[in-house]
Parts: sequence; structure tokens; C-alpha cells
Amino acid sequence: MTKRENIDLLVWNFDFALSTFYEIESWQVEKLLPPRIIPMEVTPGVALINITVFNFPEGGLGKLPEFQELILSIIVLPDLSRDVPKFAMYVISLSSTCQEHLDHSSDYYKLPSFKKLSFGNIDKKNINVEFGDSDGKILTMQNCNPQANYRNEKRYFQAFTTKNEVIYVADIYIRAKLFDHQQSGYTGKLFNHPFFKQLEVEDTEPVSYLQMIAAPNVLGQQIYYRPKKFI
Amino acid sequence: MDQIKKELKQPYTEYTLDMFLRSAGKDHAEIHQFNRWREEVIKAGKYTFEIPHLYAQKSEIEVQRITGEKYNLINFASYNYLGYSYHPEVLSSAKEALDTYGLGATGSPLLNGTFNLHKIFERKLAEYFGLEGYGVSLFSSGYGANIGVISAYIHKGEHVVLDRSSHASLFDGALLSQGKITLFKHNDIEHLEKVLKRISHENSRVLICTEGVYSADGDYGKVKEIVQVAKRYDAKVLVDEAHSLLLAGSNGKGVAEEQGVLEDVDLIIGTFSKSFAGVGGCLYAKEEIINYINYYARSRVFSCAIDPAVTGGLIKALELAGGSDGKIKRVKIKKNAKYFRSKLFGKVDIGTSETWIIPVIYGHERITIPLSDFLHKEGVDISLMMFPAVPKNKSRLRVFVTSEHSKEHMDKGADAILKAAKKFGFLLDD
Repeated sequence: MTKRENIDLLVWNFDFALSTFYEIESWQVEKLLPPRIIPMEVTPGVALINITVFNFPEGGLGKLPEFQELILSIIVLPDLSRDVPKFAMYVISLSSTCQEHLDHSSDYYKLPSFKKLSFGNIDKKNINVEFGDSDGKILTMQNCNPQANYRNEKRYFQAFTTKNEVIYVADIYIRAKLFDHQQSGYTGKLFNHPFFKQLEVEDTEPVSYLQMIAAPNVLGQQIYYRPKKFI
Repeated sequence: MDQIKKELKQPYTEYTLDMFLRSAGKDHAEIHQFNRWREEVIKAGKYTFEIPHLYAQKSEIEVQRITGEKYNLINFASYNYLGYSYHPEVLSSAKEALDTYGLGATGSPLLNGTFNLHKIFERKLAEYFGLEGYGVSLFSSGYGANIGVISAYIHKGEHVVLDRSSHASLFDGALLSQGKITLFKHNDIEHLEKVLKRISHENSRVLICTEGVYSADGDYGKVKEIVQVAKRYDAKVLVDEAHSLLLAGSNGKGVAEEQGVLEDVDLIIGTFSKSFAGVGGCLYAKEEIINYINYYARSRVFSCAIDPAVTGGLIKALELAGGSDGKIKRVKIKKNAKYFRSKLFGKVDIGTSETWIIPVIYGHERITIPLSDFLHKEGVDISLMMFPAVPKNKSRLRVFVTSEHSKEHMDKGADAILKAAKKFGFLLDD
């Protein structure tokens, strides 16, 4: 990890990121949120979950070897007193192919680390991924828009999380060559798996709302601040 | 804010209105942030929202920006489709009503706000549609008609099935009804049938809502096919003819008439702020439904009736539209729309438009504010729609063609759009 200015800020370098927002009934996500954290609805009764996959190359995060990360969050109302983010996420599950990374995420970022992934296959050329652990396959995910038009972008996000009943919020900036789209099409399959906590995803086949993709093999940066207590 | 955060701060073009909707904190951060963004746009000299018009909504208008600058523009942003907002006979009828009945109705239509003028208008509208045993309920807005009708017709636990591209008033009505809301993909009858199959076993009332013409895409609703599917599942159908009443169908009765299913639609909603060029809305349905709605649509009962001058003008607009004037103008608006589409087709993305609403899809929302400013400076006024009202990267101009536009207006409008497309990179050849 790169130290910039102070220890409250870590810069992570990634060379692949694929993020899909899925529509889901609001009642499903509401039961997973603490009081005061409210899901953002795209239409009445319809909230969003987000699943993001990163590939961090060797050295992308300190001295760690190359590893893959899988994050599940609920899109929630942001805290606009901090600034205006593209989206605010409440992280409910984090997996990784690297145990050291999982431990660090739990300790430093207060993230709900799930158990280590047993495989994280990323096909950068075709932008599709497949993840699983000892309980079986978690998901497959793919870009459904072949006409990607990447641009250099700076994005601001907020990440909420809860640890020991305390709610935290962190600022995250992404600087990368990105492409977003809302093209409808096949974006992969989510399997019923403990990673998804109590969300019913396999039978309901959530519809993809939006995809954000970073240009494969182009280094992007995730500038991730240490979380602070959400007051 | 530290140096890195300052470096990564986004310009105003990167924000969309959904981002200021609500904040998780208990302070008023969304209000503060929204105002900061608005001030930035004003400071950049690009603020084209809420722009005051200095005269009537004719094909040529004069507007004055917040900075005081005045612009003479060709007007493609108003849905004064048949030009009745300034038609001399409509104005004369409105003035007469004003002199007779005064400024406002000053009461709920259910209690003391109904004038004989309203009754005349209801009767004339019912005659215009022409079905035996049907009537009209008047509302003070089209929005009010949708929220009032849906929330009175559907009760807690029943179903409202909405096309994904439905107008906000249909969504809000469904929400207010406390019914279960289910969406189907835009104009996708197969998907609608899947939805109905899933919910029909619950043995509760199901209302499918569609529109005659969809205002974001300018395409027709598949009313005929929806009616057929609805019958199979014992569902009821509401058609919002906001952008199609007086325009679609051989007699202007809307898309339900055009597709030959006027009698099969259970609830028809009309709006008076578009082709009627006034303000208000109505429900056209069987009389027994009308009687019930008059008492139980809260947006009607707890709003003032339509004001007399507007009602007087609306009666005249209906009379004109139902006669030879309407026939001529309906032919003209379709001819104009066809001509305008031909000027743009193949050069910019006009989506699935087949009506007097022509979207021009320019893509990324960050272009929206500079594009609106550019078009003003090129002498045209065109409304814009961006995420989340339309999908990401599908932000669009919406050209409202009227029967009153001349060929010269449309040539100038199309030229300005193509010039903008070249400058902002949404020309299809590029």
C-alpha cells in the first residue's frame, strides 16, 4: 500500500474492476440495514444491491501478491454533509482470495469479511468473472455491453459499514478509465450462497440496473480513507 | 477538505439531480449541497432551468435568463401541440368565462366549486368520446387525475402493474394506493403476461397502467395488446392519454381509438395542459365509476376545481379540436413530425419515436447543461431529460413538434441540433 499524507488514507492500484448494480425488493435489503441507514430506491419498492469485483496485481496493495476481491453492498442514502457521492454503499459481505487482505479489511476498514475465496477467475479479455469458495459457486458476472467507451474519470463514493454495533462511513475516490452503461442483457448468475447473507438471489434472478467497468489491464486507483464513526 | 479531496472534486456537470435527493444525516445537507450546485451552474452562466417566458407559448418565444439576458428562440419545448393556448377563439371564450364567473372556483368540485361551466365541459367531453353510459370526472391537474384515480380504485393489498417507462404520476398514484407495485419492461407484452401469470392467482384486483404516447421515447403504448392480455387475466386497464388526446385517432380520441379498443379500456386519463393548452385533467369511464371517483379521489375532493377562465378556454379548445380545425391540425402535426424526423434520421439517434415527440439521444448526462445553453445560443428551446428520468448514457433532447411549426422553424431546429451533435460528439457519423 502507498502512504500518502497520513495513515488515514490508503491508495490501492487495480487492473480490473467490474461492478454490477442489481434491482431487488426493498423489503429484502431493509432487514439487513441498521437503523438510520436507508436503502436508495430507484422506483418505489425497488432498491439496489451492488456487487463489485477487483483484481489487485502484485504490489497493488503493499507487498501482497496478486489477489481478487468480491464485495456485496446495498445502495443507501448518502451522507451529503461529507460531500455528494455518485453512490453510497452499505457493505454487507467481503471476500477475497487473500486471507491477509481479509484480515486487514476487517481490522482497518471495519468491513464484514467473509471467508476466503477458493477461486476467483477473471477473464479480462471478455470481461467476465466467476467466484466461489468451499461452500460452492457464488456468482458469475459479465459485461453485457460490447461497445465499451472508456474515459478517464474521477468518482467519489461513500462506504458505510457496521462493526460491534457502531456504524462507520468512509470516503472512497476512484481514479480510472471507466465506462458505465444501463444496457439490458445477460450479466451472469447469482447463486444462493451464504455470501449473500439472507438475500434471495438465485430464484428471483435480479435484473441488472447499471454496470460500471474499468478498462482491463489499465491501472486504476482506489483512494480509500479510514472509516470514521457515522454520527 | 484535504488536498487530495480538493484535487478530486467534480465539476458541476458531473452531478445529476438524483444525487441531491436525500441525505442520511439529520441536518439539511441535501438542501445545502443542491443549492451549492445550483449556484455553480448560475455562476458558470449556464442556468437554463425555470426560465421565465416573456410572452405566450407560440412557435417563437422570448425568454429571460436569471442573469437578465434575453433570448429569442424557436420553441420546441412546449406541448402546446395544437396552438390553442393563444388561439383567439379560445382566449375569447376564456375571457367571457372570467367575466361571468370570476377568477377562481374557490371550492372543491364536490362541495361548492362546481360551476355550470364545469358541467358543460364534462358533458361535451363525454359526448366527444361518445360511449353510451360513460361520463367524465374533472381534476385540477393531470397529475392529480392519475394519483386520485389510482389511489381510489386500488386498495391496500391489490395490484398495480406499471410499464417501466410510466410517468411519475402513475407511480405516485400506485404508491399512494398502498397496492403492490409490479413493473413490466417497456411495451413488452410477453413480460407483462409473465407478471400477470404470477399475481393473478391472488384473487385481488389488478390494474395495468399504460400510456397512449410515452413522452420520453415518443412511441405509442401497445394498448390493444395490453387490453387483450388483461382480459385473459381479468385485469383492468388504465390508459393515460396525456400526450395523445386530441391528437391520435381519426377523431383525436387518443391511442385507444387509434388502436380500436376505446370500449375495452376501463379508465382513460386525459390532461388539459398539453393539446388542450390549459391546465387540468380528467377521467373518462363508466358513469358508476365516475360517481365513485368524484367522491373518493382525494386529489379531487381536496383540491379546488379548475378555474372558470381555463374551463371556458378548454370548452372552446375541445370544440375546435372536434371540428374541422382539429382535423386539419392533426394532419399537420403528423406531417410536421414526419418532416422533422426525416431531417434527423440517420444523423442522430432518435430512438423509437413515431409521434410528435422526437427524442434525440445525446448520451452522457454531463453534456446536459452545456448543451441546453448551446441550443439557446443557437436560437432554439428544446427540453432535456437525463438520468435518472431516462437510463444512464441515454440522456436526450425532447423535441415537441406542433401543428403550428413552419418548415422554416423545423429546418432551423434540425440545423441547431445537428450543429450541437457535431460539437458535443453525438453525430452518428462521428
